[in-house]
Amino acid sequence: MFKQVYLARYFDVRLIKEKRRGRLKGTLYSSHNQEAILVGALFGLQSNDWISPIHRDMPAFFLKDLRKGWQREDRIGMSIEEVCAQVWGKVDSPGRARDNWSHIGSRSKHIIHSTSMLAGTIPVAAGLMYADRLNGGDAVCLTFNGEGSTAQGIFHEAINFAAVHRLPVVTIIENNQWAYGTPVDLGCPTPDVADRAKGYGIPGFIADGQDVFDVYDKVTAAVEHARSGKGPSIVECKTFRAYGHGDHDDDRANKYRPQEEIEAGRARDPIGVCRQTLLSLGYLTSADAETYHAEGKNATEATNEDFPPEVVEYLNAGIEFALQSPLPNAEEGAMWVFKEKN
Amino acid sequence: MSAVATPPATGKKNYVTAIKEALFEEMERNPDMICQGEDIGILGGAFGATEGLLAKYGSSRVIDMPISEACIVGSATGLALGGKTVMAEMQFIDFISCGFDQIVNMLATYHYRTAGEVNMPVVIRGPAGAYGGGALYHSQMNEAWFCNSPGLKVICPSTPYDAKGLLKGALRDGNPCIFFEIKELYRKREVEELLPEEDYVIPFGKAAVRREGNHITLVSYGQNVYHCLQAASELEKLGVNAEVIDIRTLVPLDEDTIFASIAKTSHLIVVNEAPMTCGFAGEIIARVAEKAFEYLDAAPMRITRLDTPVPWVKPLELFVLPSIEKIVQAALKSIKY
Repeated sequence: MFKQVYLARYFDVRLIKEKRRGRLKGTLYSSHNQEAILVGALFGLQSNDWISPIHRDMPAFFLKDLRKGWQREDRIGMSIEEVCAQVWGKVDSPGRARDNWSHIGSRSKHIIHSTSMLAGTIPVAAGLMYADRLNGGDAVCLTFNGEGSTAQGIFHEAINFAAVHRLPVVTIIENNQWAYGTPVDLGCPTPDVADRAKGYGIPGFIADGQDVFDVYDKVTAAVEHARSGKGPSIVECKTFRAYGHGDHDDDRANKYRPQEEIEAGRARDPIGVCRQTLLSLGYLTSADAETYHAEGKNATEATNEDFPPEVVEYLNAGIEFALQSPLPNAEEGAMWVFKEKN
Repeated sequence: MSAVATPPATGKKNYVTAIKEALFEEMERNPDMICQGEDIGILGGAFGATEGLLAKYGSSRVIDMPISEACIVGSATGLALGGKTVMAEMQFIDFISCGFDQIVNMLATYHYRTAGEVNMPVVIRGPAGAYGGGALYHSQMNEAWFCNSPGLKVICPSTPYDAKGLLKGALRDGNPCIFFEIKELYRKREVEELLPEEDYVIPFGKAAVRREGNHITLVSYGQNVYHCLQAASELEKLGVNAEVIDIRTLVPLDEDTIFASIAKTSHLIVVNEAPMTCGFAGEIIARVAEKAFEYLDAAPMRITRLDTPVPWVKPLELFVLPSIEKIVQAALKSIKY
């Protein structure tokens, strides 16, 4: 789990570096400081479970079912090569580079394809889980959302429907305090976004989004609740967005957000929190704990030496693959509007 | 309007019965088919189109949904992702706007976004159209919104035979379809007809020539087809022989039948009850202008609703909508061009 947190962070750090080197185009939506949510939420899932990540969750695509083994062919999750091919807009992307950044998915990998309309995949997750139950399945679907998207009508409509039918849909809220340039108190009238659960008669868990183990515990409880037929739930993970909404917003985000708020929000780096827990429980010797130190460092400060070598090698392979993968043929732009003959 | 579908004694069937038969037959044929919508189960649908489905197929396949059009469409998308075929009813097609994002951004683009990995066999159907005093929010024909959203097929039958055959075809097509049913025709005795006992499907993109003629072509769909037919009868008395084409499906559009007709008549009027600006009548005329301009002897014309909402009381409503008289006058003008 610790290594996965490192992997998620390294992915973020490395993509920022790649873009600065000019080897990567497009907007990056950093998950820096929110990695514990992705790792903690995904770690306990069964292989056949589904996920629905959004823009800030890019590592989720390869973290899914990673526990099974990083190189396992039978994982039900995307390979790092597929994810990098998508980031670089190459034909080997699972979506053949038809939509950008995190707008990919895969039926075979049990990942719902998102759009830019936030909370829009929750009804899809609900319908999918309805179908899964009819088919005799036992899957659970985790949908990831920001606190901002909980103001969308479809958020309410979908959770309402899921609650009526006790569908196994767990809605993760990554409450990073800022919906682009709007603070949470201008988007949600209650102190805890999880309070929205009360209206549906479902549990609203609150997790420390900096603590991978707390996220794991709360999401595991929510998943067990869902899998046992008791229905949906909301898990609010409290965290803080390290950078701007996207990297185009980094400079402004340092102005519209008070400096002391940024410092406080980034003070508890999920890597450091995880290390401390492992040390205190005796799962990590102090010698091992001293080896790598990525916490507290932003993309400019962190170097490859701050990360375990296997993490660096894993991503290197993905990036090399992406750089060599070709662009799709231009004609593909007009393909697959409709399914052709049965 | 009665919610109970009483089959006529003649053996002929009305439009809503044809819809109902299509749903029952496809539910029987395809165990992976789900029906969902507001009041479709216990009530049997506001117009009775789903009457008896719940009793026969149970609540897991016939889902009474909350008043949540966006969720109806979104969950239909999820059901399709999970391998199901879905009929999603909009209680009135006017309410489809509440599900608009889920239709045009989520459902319509799913196949495209996944480069063909995922198909979306979802049919969104619902009662549409004016002339019944339904006022602003129970009278709309909003088909143009969906024709302008790539990835959707758009269908509008005008007869019971077509309604059944096109709906069965839509439920087997594998693509998202928006299916406009004309509620004024649901129980109209004049359009009742005998339906085949055997299974049949009407292919998309095949227009029907409802009346042959060689002086002018009237192109339409839905209930305006009947206005065109009655206008053609009036015109005949005046010595004008009109051909009436019912396109039946807007996307895909059967251009060939339209072009072949104007090659013969050299005059074209397109009639639809949606508003004029950016409406489908304009699209048909644009295609004719691009591809069959040389056939025309007169400027093609549109008879549509004025660019207004559909008002409630009869004089207001009829004032803004296409009428037999408006079509006749336009046809005479075209002939004299």
